[in-house]
Amino acid sequence: MSKLYLSGNEAIAYGLIHAGVRFISGYPGTPSSEIVPTAQKLIKDKEIRAYVDWAVNEKVAYEVAYGASLANIKSAVTMKQVGLNVAMDPFMNSAYVGTVAGFVVISVDDPGPHSSQTEQDSRFMAMAAKIPVLDPSTVEEAFEFSKKAIQLSEKYSIPVMLRSTTRISHGRALVEVDEKIISEDLHPYFKTSKEWSKYLSRFASTPKQRLELHRILNKKIDEIAMENIPHLFFQGDILIISSGAVFSYLYELIEEHSLQNKVTLAKFDMPYPLSRDVVNSLMSHQNSNFNRNFQRIVSIEETYPVIELQLCTEGRRNGIVPKEGELLPEVCEGILEKLNLIKKRKTFTIPPLKRPSLCPGCGHRIALYEVKKVFGKKTIYAGDIGCYTLALNFNVTDTVLNMGASVSFGFALSKAFELGDKIQDVVSIIGDSTFFHTGIPPLIDAVHYQVPFLLVILDNQTVAMTGNQKTLSTNKNFLGKSLKPIIIEDIVKSIGINFLEVTDPYDYEKSLKIIKEAKNFLKERKEPAVVVFRHLCINTKEGLESNPKKPVKIIEELCKGCKLCINEFECPAIVFDEVTAKAKIDTTLCISCGCCIYVCPTKAINLVIESKR
Amino acid sequence: MKFVILGKGGQGVIFFSRAIAQASAQKGLMVRSTEIKGMAKKGGVVEIQMKIGEGLSGVVRRGSADLVILLSEDLMDYAKTFGEKVFTFTSKEIEKALSSVPMLYVNTFLLGIFVKKTKLFDCEDFLKILDDKNKESFKKGCEYVQSSKRNSSKRRN
Repeated sequence: MSKLYLSGNEAIAYGLIHAGVRFISGYPGTPSSEIVPTAQKLIKDKEIRAYVDWAVNEKVAYEVAYGASLANIKSAVTMKQVGLNVAMDPFMNSAYVGTVAGFVVISVDDPGPHSSQTEQDSRFMAMAAKIPVLDPSTVEEAFEFSKKAIQLSEKYSIPVMLRSTTRISHGRALVEVDEKIISEDLHPYFKTSKEWSKYLSRFASTPKQRLELHRILNKKIDEIAMENIPHLFFQGDILIISSGAVFSYLYELIEEHSLQNKVTLAKFDMPYPLSRDVVNSLMSHQNSNFNRNFQRIVSIEETYPVIELQLCTEGRRNGIVPKEGELLPEVCEGILEKLNLIKKRKTFTIPPLKRPSLCPGCGHRIALYEVKKVFGKKTIYAGDIGCYTLALNFNVTDTVLNMGASVSFGFALSKAFELGDKIQDVVSIIGDSTFFHTGIPPLIDAVHYQVPFLLVILDNQTVAMTGNQKTLSTNKNFLGKSLKPIIIEDIVKSIGINFLEVTDPYDYEKSLKIIKEAKNFLKERKEPAVVVFRHLCINTKEGLESNPKKPVKIIEELCKGCKLCINEFECPAIVFDEVTAKAKIDTTLCISCGCCIYVCPTKAINLVIESKR
Repeated sequence: MKFVILGKGGQGVIFFSRAIAQASAQKGLMVRSTEIKGMAKKGGVVEIQMKIGEGLSGVVRRGSADLVILLSEDLMDYAKTFGEKVFTFTSKEIEKALSSVPMLYVNTFLLGIFVKKTKLFDCEDFLKILDDKNKESFKKGCEYVQSSKRNSSKRRN
C-alpha cells in the first residue's frame, strides 16, 4: 500500500482500474476531464491490456462503453453533467436492458456553477432513469465508490452511476492505494453465451418485452433500496440527512460548533434508490441509536432535492435550503442558523474577479476579429461551447446555449428573419471538437433546407478549453499507435456545402478576402457557407513552438488612447496605461504573434524590425 | 491548519500547494485540498484551499483560514474574505529570487522564504521532498531571510 496525493478524478481512475474495468470511454468536460488521461497513464505504465480513449461525443461514449459491458468486459463512461444530457437516450434505455459485466456511468456535477451552463443534479437524472447512484463525500470515497459501483452493477446487472462534483473531482487528499493491480482476465462473449436466447430478449427486445424489462428493473431498484442503509453520526433531536461533498462540510461544522447533542447526521453513500420503510424501521428499532422522535428531519444536498423527495423531509420545499448555488460551508452555516442551531454569523461580500480572456496569441481572437471586421456589429453571432465563448468579451458572440447549438441557431435565426422578410446576416461560430461533437447534424439540415448563414469553424486541433485533450484530427493515440485523422473539409464537402475555404487567421489579408467572398456567396446563393480557420492552439507545446515570432511595439506618439485594441480585440498583453492614457504591451504576457498590428486605426502598433548589420 | 493559496495562472499556486502537501504528508499528516483553476491560463484566478491535519474536505470556509498565501497583489480584497492573515512576497524578495536562481527554481527560492518567515513548517520537511537543484534554491531562500534578519538587527543595534 502507498499513499498518493490524488485528485478525486485521479482516484476514480485508480478505483476503476483496480476494480477490473478495462474499457473506458468519455468526452472531455470540466470538471470530469482528468479521469480518462489518468486511466490511460495507468494502463500504459503498468502495461495493462485495455481500451481507454475519447469518443466523438457523450452519446457515442456511453454506447461504446455500455456495449463493451454487454460483451462481458467491465467498462465505464465519463462525462460532465451536461454531457449526460447528450447521452440521455442510451442512459435511459440501458437501465431497462441491464448489463452483463459491471458498468459505471461517471457524471461530474458542477454546483456553483464554476464552469458549466447548468447546476443540474445527475442524481436526479439517475432517479429518472431508475439507475442507482453513489455520491462520494471525500476523495477517498471517490476511490472506494468506483470499486463499489462495479460490485453493485455486477450483483444486480444494472448500470450504476458514480456522481462526483467539482469539489470532489478537483479536490485532493492522500489516498491509500494498492500498488499491485490484480490482473483481469478478459473473456468477451456475446452470441457464444449458453443463455443467448435469454439475453436476446433483453438486447433486442420488442415493446412488449420492454414492459417485462421495466418490471425487472423495478424489482432490482426495490431490492437495492432495501439494502441502502445510512451511516449515522452524533445524537440529537434534529435529523439532517445528506450525501456527497455537503456531508463533509456538515460534519465539520457540527464538530466546530459542538452540536453533537443537538443534531443527528445521516449520510447516504447512495442517495437513490431510498426506501421510506427502511428509514422508518430504523427509527423504530429498539437497539438503533436512530430510535428517537426527531423534532425535525431536513435533507441538505447538492443541488436538487433527491433525498428530500424520496423521504418527504424538510429542505428546499420549505425554504430551509437554498434552491440554487453551491452549498459551501458558509452556506451550510446559514442553514444551521435557520434551524436555530447557531447564532448569526458574519457574512462576506465577495469582490468581483477579473474576467478571463482568450490567451495572448490565440488564433481564435484574430479570426473572430476578421469576421467582425467584414460582417460588422449588426450581424448576429451564434456562439458555442469552447474557449471562443470568450469572444463575447469583444462582441463576437451573441448566443451560447449548449454544444452544437451555434449551427442550429444559424439555421433558426436566418430562417426566422426570412419569414419576416427581413435581411439579417447570421454567423455561427464553432470549434473543431464541438463541430465533430454535435455540429454536423444541424449543418446537414441547413444544406438540405438551403438556409444561408456563415459557419465559422475554428480549428486549433485540440479540445483546448478542458485541458488540451486530443481531437479526431490526431494521427496517434496515447500509446503511439496510429489513428486515422478525420478531415473537417471532407465532412463539409460531402454534406454538399458549395462554399468552403480554409485559411490561417494569422494571414490577415487572405482571411479578409475569403470572408468577403463568403458574404457575397450568402447574398447570391441562399445556402450555407463554411470557412475553416486553422491555427494550432498556442497553449500546446507544438502550437507555441511553431507560432510565428513577430515582436511588436507601440509608438507612443501615434497612440491616441482610443482603446479600440483593448475593447474590440481584448488581448491580455495589451494594457492601458492610465497615467500616459496610452496603450502599452505587457511583454511578460505577449508571445509576439504580431496579430495586433492590424487592429490599431492610427497604426501605432508596429512590428519590431530587427536591423541587419 | 487551514490555508488558501491564491494567484493567477503560472504564478506557482499549484507548485506551492503540492510542496506543502508533500512536506506535510511525509510527516504523517492528512492533507486535503480543493482547486479552482478552470480558466487559469486565460487570466483567471487559481485558488487552492487546503486543510492539514483536520477536517473531511479541503474546502475552507470564508473567514476561517489561518493563513492566505497571496501571489497576486490585486487579489488582496478577495484574499481577505478567507482570513485576516495574508502572506505576500515583497517586491524585494521577488527581485532577489529572480536574480539569485535560474527561472525554473524561482518558486523554490520563494518557498524557502515563506517557510523561514512564517515558521509554520520545518525547513527539514521540505529538504526531504526536494531534488538537489531545488534543495539548493530552497536553502538560498531560507538563507536570504536569515541574512536580511541579521542585517535588520544590526541596524537596530
